[in-house]
Amino acid sequence: MPQGNKANQDPLSSRQAGSSDPAASGFRPVSARFSDQLVAVLPRLRRFARGLTGSVFEADDLVQAACERALTREHQFQEGTRFDSWMFRIVQTIWIDQIRARDVRKEEPEAEAERIGSDEPMRRIEARLALGEVRLALKELPPEQRTALLLVTVDGLSYKEAAAVAEVPVGTIMSRLARARVALQAKVGGGRGSKNDAEAKR
Amino acid sequence: MQKPSDELLIAYLDGELDTETSNEVAAAIAGDPALAREAQMLAETSAALRVAFDDVLHEPVPERLLAAARGELGQDKVVRFPDPHKRAAGRAAVGWRRWTALPIAASVASLIIGGGIGYLGAMQSPVGPNVQPQEQIAAASSNWLDNVAGYHKMLVNAGSNDAALVDIPADPQSNGGHKLALPQDFNLPNLKPWGLAYQGGRVLFVEGRPATQLFYTTDNKALGPVTVVVANTSLADKAPTPEQRGDVNMLWWRHHGHEYAVVGTTNLNYLWNIHNDLAWQLDGI
Repeated sequence: MPQGNKANQDPLSSRQAGSSDPAASGFRPVSARFSDQLVAVLPRLRRFARGLTGSVFEADDLVQAACERALTREHQFQEGTRFDSWMFRIVQTIWIDQIRARDVRKEEPEAEAERIGSDEPMRRIEARLALGEVRLALKELPPEQRTALLLVTVDGLSYKEAAAVAEVPVGTIMSRLARARVALQAKVGGGRGSKNDAEAKR
Repeated sequence: MQKPSDELLIAYLDGELDTETSNEVAAAIAGDPALAREAQMLAETSAALRVAFDDVLHEPVPERLLAAARGELGQDKVVRFPDPHKRAAGRAAVGWRRWTALPIAASVASLIIGGGIGYLGAMQSPVGPNVQPQEQIAAASSNWLDNVAGYHKMLVNAGSNDAALVDIPADPQSNGGHKLALPQDFNLPNLKPWGLAYQGGRVLFVEGRPATQLFYTTDNKALGPVTVVVANTSLADKAPTPEQRGDVNMLWWRHHGHEYAVVGTTNLNYLWNIHNDLAWQLDGI
């Protein structure tokens, strides 16, 4: 059962945001500790969201929505648990909701391959592994596999932590990662090819 | 050990196996050059993926995200709407407001549907004091509209059940006092004659400027939801101008220090009529 955030109960750790009279304005104070944690994790949230959406603008919109949701649910964060994982879960949940809403309206996904990267020169860690290719290949993966890859391979979460964020068993993360990594390798590195590429869609 | 499965091989590379299993996989790799090559390629692809997104960590975080994280999208950021007490004085000054008679008719019946676009085409940008180069203004306006369209899609994509995205609930009592309220003297635009019901508002940062987004929905799926964005501006007044971003249509204008946009996927005729009504109600005309 989630416990209240102790920082909320400490008047010295709270600060007003907006009106000087929160009662009059109806605006909720945000604990300094909570918002500091949120600010600190923003770069990683942006990276996670960038990988999920493949778009600079959509990613930042997603992170903003996650921040706003987190602030309204500050009381649900359990002290002693990982704040970054909690935020990753919020980002992922909002993103999945947006995908579902988009699917319901049968919108075509935006053709924004050109928006994925910046204009800066692409560095290569190997001649055939252009980073742009990697980003594009990631975007072609199913959302669940993309999430697993970003959490474990990019952000370094353990399988257990990633499973908690995605709210699936560790074994599911393991199999998603395997399919995703093999598919990614096939796309950018000429790996085992179409067989695994097709399997990755499953 | 037989050739390890993909799951085992990748878990080995990720350091997720227990010591015994890890040793078995390592031995299998050592005895199988093809497997070793495959493991090497998987490791390289993982490294490439990390590097591909590494730059994001070093980018400056946008101001609006920092503000959102600090809970600073607060009441003081709500755009101050035109003072209704100044309406009468304000209505006398600008020449291109001859068409203010139109919204009255528009709010009663759709008399000008079909005529709006022709009128738009005939409108000219107002001449006024302007200290910025036109190119800069045009670029800033274009960015502003990009964001306005993006915020429209974001709210629509979120769906009506995502109350967390709404800063200013339609029912102030519904949020337990945790959110914002529109200024008490603000007359919320009533768009019910157009079949649009107010669902709430959002406090935004658009191109570094605070803005308020009002969200209206309709049962008529052909029309779809409409958002209205109001922001402060120091730029000169501008006549209503149609814009399009993907499937999002917009009608935007500036008046007396405020910038307005009516946004939706419906056609411009409909937006034009809504804009007329809005402009009259907000004194943004």
